[in-house]
Amino acid sequence: MLQKADYNAAFFVAAALGLFFIGGLLTTVVPPLIDSSWSKPFENSDPANGPVGKLRQLNEQELQGRAIYVREGCWYCHTQQVRTILADTKRYGWRGVDAPISTPDEFVYDSPHMFGTKRTGPDLARVGGKYNDQWHRAHFRNPADLVPGSIMPPFPWIANNEAEFKAMVAYLQTLGRAKDWRPDNDYEK
Amino acid sequence: MQNESTIAAAEIPVSESAKRTEMIHEDTTAKLFLLSSVTYFFIVGIIALLIAAKFVMPSFLGTIPQLTYGRLRPLHVNGMLFGWLLACDMALMYYVVPRLCGVKLWSEKLGIATGVLWNVIILSAVVSFLMGWNQGWEYAELPLILDVGVVLAWVMFGANVFMTIANRKYQAMYVTLWYAMGTILWTAFVYLTGNFATLFTTGVNQANLNWMYVHNAVGLIFTPVGLAIAYYFIPKASNTPLYSHKLSMIGFWSLAFVYVWTGAHHMLHGPISQWLQTITIVFSVMLLIPVWAAVYNFFATMKGQWHQLRDNVSLKFLMSGVVFYLLTCFQGPMHSLHVVNAIVSKTDWIPGHAHMAVLGAFSFFAIAGTYYALPRLFNTELYSDALANWSFWLLLIGGLGFFVTLWLGGFWQGWQWNNPAIPFIDTVVALQPVWAVRLGSGFLMFGGIVAFGYNVLATVLGAKGSGVEANPAEVAA
Ligand code: HEC
Repeated sequence: MLQKADYNAAFFVAAALGLFFIGGLLTTVVPPLIDSSWSKPFENSDPANGPVGKLRQLNEQELQGRAIYVREGCWYCHTQQVRTILADTKRYGWRGVDAPISTPDEFVYDSPHMFGTKRTGPDLARVGGKYNDQWHRAHFRNPADLVPGSIMPPFPWIANNEAEFKAMVAYLQTLGRAKDWRPDNDYEK
Repeated sequence: MQNESTIAAAEIPVSESAKRTEMIHEDTTAKLFLLSSVTYFFIVGIIALLIAAKFVMPSFLGTIPQLTYGRLRPLHVNGMLFGWLLACDMALMYYVVPRLCGVKLWSEKLGIATGVLWNVIILSAVVSFLMGWNQGWEYAELPLILDVGVVLAWVMFGANVFMTIANRKYQAMYVTLWYAMGTILWTAFVYLTGNFATLFTTGVNQANLNWMYVHNAVGLIFTPVGLAIAYYFIPKASNTPLYSHKLSMIGFWSLAFVYVWTGAHHMLHGPISQWLQTITIVFSVMLLIPVWAAVYNFFATMKGQWHQLRDNVSLKFLMSGVVFYLLTCFQGPMHSLHVVNAIVSKTDWIPGHAHMAVLGAFSFFAIAGTYYALPRLFNTELYSDALANWSFWLLLIGGLGFFVTLWLGGFWQGWQWNNPAIPFIDTVVALQPVWAVRLGSGFLMFGGIVAFGYNVLATVLGAKGSGVEANPAEVAA
């Protein structure tokens, strides 16, 4: 039947697009209709169901920090997803507590999404509350000073710009915090 | 199968010189695209070296915001994908399509306008990436206004190709024409999804659209146009008819159906619905069908002709491109299996894989097409076959060094990550030798690019003016 496409360009176009659209629509338009967790913000008040908490929208300063994160391409080196892999939950955990696996409902307000594809540096999905301002300041000035062997580039223009630095850190501190996962509120400010 | 013979008639192995006396192509558009693409190949090659160097010396150029890793990387990726590869692919389509249709390009004026617009887009992209104007989606980093420009340029390119095909003299369409048309159609929708539909979504929904685009930028843009080139130039460069028309048909239609399902495999083990992950794995494995159909056809075409590789640079690039294509497309489905994914995903293995596809397979096809078409476009002979050989060996050895060290290194890295007792920084330090070899391989590849670029330049400058001279130069053969 497809032999007709050898001679008939209109038929060819219809067939090529038709086949493409079957998969195209079923994998892009349909999934969010089926899976409500893609669009329903995380909220849980029952510890029996895992960490409690509620996803909130970022404030203006945090959004500004996020924009810097996008601008500087931090996302080419850092992912933001604790995957369904045991080592991920252990590695990104804290004092023996496993990091909760990332779920779609934690990212409902994210745009552009920052899931990332490459871990040149560690995952940042649960980095919120891990380090304080001082650590971040020194780290942005020159990461290798703080973590010998680091290949994270220095960002002096962030560390030395009070507004940008505060915004950046404010954003980083929100990461992974919708789920209150560390016991006894053990977070850095 | 009455059509088989008709197709064979319209099909390529008509000798080029015979065709030339019959038909004079203006080819201004093809030349414009070709020369600008080779220029970007060279310039962006330098950027590639800079970012590879930053892995070895992280503070190299580190205090200049415009030259930080996070701004040069999108410049490298977009520059190579759109400035070099896609532009070169388009150049070759402007060259091939009129020849397969037996008519002139529908509109050279429109083509030239497309080429100018394309260059404006690429140059604006350079500025915007250095300034950090980045939308934050992989492969779709370009600011919105430039996205609109790309869509416009694509419509102009598509109109030219489709109108040329509509006016064709030979009724039967050779497989290269299907791939050209498929590329144009699919790209339009894939690009709109990745650059515009994403604007109206957030979170996982947006990521899913983004990955649909990223995956199909390779699968439904570079793959089909790359195959269009391979299907044309392998028979041409070896002067041997394609082994099987039917097999190319199976390859084409299975590609049309299967590829688009697999975008979500970039989120395996990630925060995305399990059932979608399962679908994406099943279809990723099915990718082996179109791949095998194409690769088998190419190998079978070359049967008994392999000796030609010895002194035919185009064929060397084409056939090593085919091998890399097969390897990449074997890796891809394997990555989507859970056990493998849990080790290699997010590691340095992945750039090794991606470079084999985009450099090893599709850039090799584009370079081969350039070596074949360039002398014919400028009615001259290639400046130097020896230099062309150098470009091949440098790119091949540099490429292999790059791919193989990153696979080994990436696998080892993933293995270490899966042991949470190893601190992250130790896994960084452990990869230092790998990144050093990668930089060294980068220099070799860049040497290949320089040899290629210089050869192109010298050929063009030494061209005898594109007259009608009956000089059926048996070049590059
Ligand atoms: C070239 C890749 C690269 C880029 C770009 C990059 N980083 Fe990093 N990052 C690393 C590496 C490698 C480490 C691990 C060593 C260290 O802590 O410095 C790291 C560590 C970190 C850490 C500590 C994580 C932890 O759990 O200890 C934070 C926070 C961080 N980076 C934030 C950023 C931000 C914000 C940006 C953008 C302004 C950025 N990084 C850009 C590579 C990168």
